[in-house]
Amino acid sequence: MKLDVNALGTFYRMAREGAGLAAGRLTHMLGVETQVGVTKLNFMRGQEIERDFEDSTEKVGVRVKLTGGIEGYSVVVFDRENALRIVQTLLAEADSDSEGDTELGEVDAFDEMTESAATEVGHIMNSGFIDGWADVLETVIDVSTPEFVEGQTAEPFFGDIDEAPADDDLALLFQSRIETVGTEVGFSHYLFPKRESMSKLLERLRTSEGIEYDKLDGFDRMAERGAEEVAKTATTLTGIDTSIDIRRLNFVSLEAIPEQVADEKLVGVAFEFDGMPSGYLLFLFDEESAHEIVDAMVPMEVDEDGFGEMGTSAIKELGNIMASGFLDGWANVLDTTIDHSTPEFIHDIGAAAVDPVIIQLGENQDFAFVFDTVVMADGREFDCEVYAIPDESDLERALNNLDVDRIEDAKTTAEFQEVDNA
Amino acid sequence: MKTYGTEPGAPTPVQVGISELVVSDGDDTLKSYGLGSCLAIALYDPNTGIGGLAHVMLPDGDTADNSDRKPGKYADTAIRALLRRMVEQGANYTAVEAKIAGGSDMFEFESFGDGVGQRNIVAAKAELEKLGVPLEAEDVGGEYGRTVEFTPGTGVLTVKTSDGDNGVTEL
Repeated sequence: MKLDVNALGTFYRMAREGAGLAAGRLTHMLGVETQVGVTKLNFMRGQEIERDFEDSTEKVGVRVKLTGGIEGYSVVVFDRENALRIVQTLLAEADSDSEGDTELGEVDAFDEMTESAATEVGHIMNSGFIDGWADVLETVIDVSTPEFVEGQTAEPFFGDIDEAPADDDLALLFQSRIETVGTEVGFSHYLFPKRESMSKLLERLRTSEGIEYDKLDGFDRMAERGAEEVAKTATTLTGIDTSIDIRRLNFVSLEAIPEQVADEKLVGVAFEFDGMPSGYLLFLFDEESAHEIVDAMVPMEVDEDGFGEMGTSAIKELGNIMASGFLDGWANVLDTTIDHSTPEFIHDIGAAAVDPVIIQLGENQDFAFVFDTVVMADGREFDCEVYAIPDESDLERALNNLDVDRIEDAKTTAEFQEVDNA
Repeated sequence: MKTYGTEPGAPTPVQVGISELVVSDGDDTLKSYGLGSCLAIALYDPNTGIGGLAHVMLPDGDTADNSDRKPGKYADTAIRALLRRMVEQGANYTAVEAKIAGGSDMFEFESFGDGVGQRNIVAAKAELEKLGVPLEAEDVGGEYGRTVEFTPGTGVLTVKTSDGDNGVTEL
């Protein structure tokens, strides 16, 4: 099974189209305005999907089995509270329509009526997605009757689905978020396609030589090594214990990348890197985290507005060493060398730091693989988002050259330098 | 479509994302968030109050194959698409005026050459001149981000930087 950017681009359009239809139907059903949040194609391992569910909130889902143009499972997952809120809105609407005088009150558990209402909502959402995909693919997809699932872990949702990836298997996942305007109701959507069905689709959509699906494993190793190096470097330099919170490989349209960045003033360090692959690397911190870092790295009191010269140079230094570690991680997996530029400091609206990069890449490509990493501190403010956006054709070439069997043995060799606080 | 949870008379601004363009009239507010090297192009007809905002990413659409599908992505095709849609809604071509904001050069990377922001500014100005649309005001260049809000009815383009209240300019 081989895939290329054209095939992935079509999948991305499917996800967008499907999310749009689903949002439209939700609006129609609930009488509230909805908007489509970030839509991504994710390459995820089974264990990461499990982690997605481990935020100790109760979840409910509605899943259907697909046959025809795509075979597999489509699952809509809500936080339980959100699902109840939607059901409440829905039943209140129905109630006012019929002018009945049943007292609904607060719905706080699923009974037969609310469960069937939730299933209906979930099913209409699923159908929206599926109709969107069928439109893009110009094919017919058949849908089974919906199944209501409730639980706190991934197990009840995906445990019995053969198509769901095992802990170490990499799956291509469609993820969309739909939010209702003004209220906090959102949900996630997962598609687990059957491998053969996927392989057939990829074959049809592929317009270039492409890369072997199994080489994607190299992607994931790159992401893993890169993230580990960042967390390790951050801890060494600041003395703050950090861990990797999210590590994900996304395939998105370039325009979607700045939309994903927090809607606030951020502190960042940016690099361009050159080699096989070349591209751009950004570390973004919220202001509070950036101040924590400066406090940890600069021993004396800094009495300056903003971050001052000292703070700026401390953050640049940290960024510089994290960048070396991250790219060394990649270079080791790919058995190559990757050089990076000197750091550029930025303290501005987050999206503004990302758009120059996507503009530059936009000359030659419409989509990008984004290596998303979030590093968090244990107990202290240190949240760092890492965006690594390689040049598409370089990345394809680098992966094609990759010897998958070699990856396991690769050792990273990041060097730590003394931090110069003077 | 009704938006719940907002006060009457204070409509939510319409978001104009990267590569998008929106035409509207009256008191509607069109907003583009976090422009770095991207450029916001606002066109409006002061007599009819019809106007539009484009959030462009690249200078030259005439040489790109997908500019007919995504005219809002490029400065030249976005300006023409905005004009066409405004005229379709009743704007008078000869009365249309323009304001632009954005086009910073945030980073000095070798691969960026002369600056990605600068190229967008130059392309937009050239296209406006070619079409005979006067550029009434601009807030472009520099090394910082901007968020813009445009109200077609008044023609006011509000530009905010990350400096809070000190960073607000009305064009």
